[in-house]
Amino acid sequence: MKIVLYLHMHQPWRLARFRFLDLGSGRPYFDHDRNLGIFRGIAERCYLPTLERLTRAARQDSGFRLSLSITGTFLEQARLAAPEVLDRVRELYRTGQVALVAETYYHSLAFLVPPPELREEVEMHRAMLRSEFGASPNVLRMTELAYSDDLARFAEAERFQGMLAEGWEGVLQGEPSTMRYCAAPAPTVRLLLRHYPLSDDVGFRFSSTGWSEYPLTAEKYADWLAATPGEVVGLFMDFETFGEHHSARTGILEFLSALPEKVRRHPHLGWATVEEAIQGPPRAPLSVPYTMTWADQNRDLGAWLGNDLQRSAFEAAKKVGVAVRRTADPALLTDWRKLLTSDHFYYMYVGGHGADQGVHEYFSSYDSPYDAYANYMNALTDLRRRALQQLGVPTLQ
Amino acid sequence: MPGIIARRTVTVPPPAHARKKSRPPPRTGPPPSRRRPKGRRAKGRAKPRVRREKEPPSPARGLDEPLAQPTPLPRSVLLSSPTPLRVAPRPLHIVMVGWEWPPQHTGGLGVHSYELAKELTRLGHRITFLTPFTGPFTSVEGVSIRYPGAPEAGVPPEFPTAYWVGDSPGSPFWNATDGYNAWVAQLGGVEDADVVHVHDWFGTEGAIALARRLHRPLVMTVHSTEYDRSLGHPWDHVLRREQIGIDAATRVIAVSRHLRLQLIERYRADPGKVRVIYNAVRPSERLANIEPNRRVVLYVGRLAAMKGVDTFLRAAARVVPQFPDVLFVIAGEGSEYSRLLHLTAALGIGDRVMFLGKVSDDERELLLAGSSVFVLPSVVEPFGIAALEAMAAGVPTIVSKTSGVAEISSGVFQVDFWDVEEFASRIAELLEYPTLRRAMGEQGRWEALREGWSERAREVVSVYLEAMAVRRTP
Repeated sequence: MKIVLYLHMHQPWRLARFRFLDLGSGRPYFDHDRNLGIFRGIAERCYLPTLERLTRAARQDSGFRLSLSITGTFLEQARLAAPEVLDRVRELYRTGQVALVAETYYHSLAFLVPPPELREEVEMHRAMLRSEFGASPNVLRMTELAYSDDLARFAEAERFQGMLAEGWEGVLQGEPSTMRYCAAPAPTVRLLLRHYPLSDDVGFRFSSTGWSEYPLTAEKYADWLAATPGEVVGLFMDFETFGEHHSARTGILEFLSALPEKVRRHPHLGWATVEEAIQGPPRAPLSVPYTMTWADQNRDLGAWLGNDLQRSAFEAAKKVGVAVRRTADPALLTDWRKLLTSDHFYYMYVGGHGADQGVHEYFSSYDSPYDAYANYMNALTDLRRRALQQLGVPTLQ
Repeated sequence: MPGIIARRTVTVPPPAHARKKSRPPPRTGPPPSRRRPKGRRAKGRAKPRVRREKEPPSPARGLDEPLAQPTPLPRSVLLSSPTPLRVAPRPLHIVMVGWEWPPQHTGGLGVHSYELAKELTRLGHRITFLTPFTGPFTSVEGVSIRYPGAPEAGVPPEFPTAYWVGDSPGSPFWNATDGYNAWVAQLGGVEDADVVHVHDWFGTEGAIALARRLHRPLVMTVHSTEYDRSLGHPWDHVLRREQIGIDAATRVIAVSRHLRLQLIERYRADPGKVRVIYNAVRPSERLANIEPNRRVVLYVGRLAAMKGVDTFLRAAARVVPQFPDVLFVIAGEGSEYSRLLHLTAALGIGDRVMFLGKVSDDERELLLAGSSVFVLPSVVEPFGIAALEAMAAGVPTIVSKTSGVAEISSGVFQVDFWDVEEFASRIAELLEYPTLRRAMGEQGRWEALREGWSERAREVVSVYLEAMAVRRTP
């Protein structure tokens, strides 16, 4: 069985506090210094040490392979804050054991915005991977691992050969997630599914002392992998799992370093990149008529568009997009696209209960979802004014 | 509190409707239909409503006919101060020598003058109200407000506006008081006045001179005395002005029996000319001043320095230009009042800020029901129950980070108490984004109501038990 380790590298352009009274002031929406400061911190704790370990593992003759996705906003920040991170990624990529995965440049909800936004953003991302790493990926992942029949059709039209999706029972109907599938409406598109229990064992539970399996050792984990039936097992998680979500003190980096060696003890286990894993006949076509994601208990878009605040903000963003596109001003378009980044909507999540809320609070850059909404709407309102001004449409004030 | 009201209505005095049927009213005065209510209105009667449409004046009514069925006065009042009610034979022109006028009022003299003048105009009379302050003023039909320096055709202003600021002897204020009196004394255009009515001591000199010049009677209302205000250390010049007013007045109105006695004993007022007329409250009327199409940003609390109301005002000044429909309402009274009033004027937002004075529980509830945003900008606020009440009413709330209530709520905006721009922005954001207003209103309501006094009582009991477990007496 092939282990498909796929790590997602992303940092959003977080908004500065953009007050209502800042409307029309020309102040930047995004807090450059803060974002770069955060990036440097994470580079120190996570990107640099983890990349180093991955590169070492890839160079050893252990058959270790992995796949990476790198968002455009991540790359922009890395260039400014810690260019050595990009050097390390290139170094890792050059080992030949790594596949890069395509997605939207802005880690955005572009797939919910009228065309041609999605195609343009995926195209931007492809161009970035080509110029930065000389890579031309043929596997696509959508923001937050979103997947639907429509997105499969899009992938097919864009000549992708595979997509990544959540291995969710609600869709699999008893079928195993550890097989290769194809998209029902677009059979040329192979699907690789996330094995969420094994992925979350590392991604969420690794450092949880209350967990019955704590502490998770590489050996134990390799045993679990070995005991899992199927052809491919998708371990999809944030890159920041290693050193950031779980700090180095938890032993997560040692776990990662030790894993290839422990896996090697099981002869029927091997590693594969996403591009390798999609090769081969699919078990069955899979139909997902709604949008499925990898988030929260419901695996839907609820984490981003589940409440009134989020929907209101997103609808407003879509409207502003129409005006922004009409101006054809690249500066406005860039600001707008940065505002489409899914993280902004994630910050507006109002949960209040259960396990999901803790996760949301951990990832939020605001004190409350109301702060997030107000701030976002201010920036968006300002952007709208700028666009309308350029179009010569009179606005209030 | 329906229980209390119910208990009251079965004890003396019996309610009007019960009385009407059972037995005739006591024959101590004119029949009830001619008697004007003088005491406090019965509690629980006529539930006030915010933003009520004004009642259209009814031409069918007699000049002095009360608008509502009179409420029986407490027996003791009737006995102590018989004020026979007379019907004016014609509309009167009353020159009222006043001090404050809404929106400038503390809940005392300003409110009194306003309510009284308004009711007098409803009875068909005409008021010329004199005030040393410059506007803008809440306008009332039938009341013409005049102040020194007010632009008048062909007459150069005597005093610049800035002349009227200050609050201690030697400051321009005192000159202003003298100036105000001088201005009142020579006031023209009121030759057809029927009576001159002065409130408290501020304008007694001018009022006396005016009444003499016009050959009209002088009525003086005393709201409080310098003895009381100064806690027994009166200022001579204030005392003197009170005394000359009481001496010169044809009739003196005291706002309580206690005060009447004081006037008779300490100021040697002729008992025969001192009448008692109580203050009243009229919640619905006061709140009706908030025009129906206005959105309200509300502060409820004392006007004390630690409450940070100046931040509220400064934030208001930043918000009002962009939101022409918004009114900033301040409900409460306190020592900072006059300073805040001057600040309001200095910020140029007098027409966008309403000082309501102290509000009753009913009024507060209604204010909250009609408000878009509640702000508690306290510098120091151990808890801030006003904010919790606003949240419970579903009003999106902004508090300073220093307030205790911020500790238990994620559904409020929290702002550094000194950060005027941030307060202003938060207010503007809530005014601008209806989805935000709704979401925060709902969340705040949930947070405020999820635990009540019963939970708190249980917590207190836990502390008792802890203390008892220690088994140590102090």
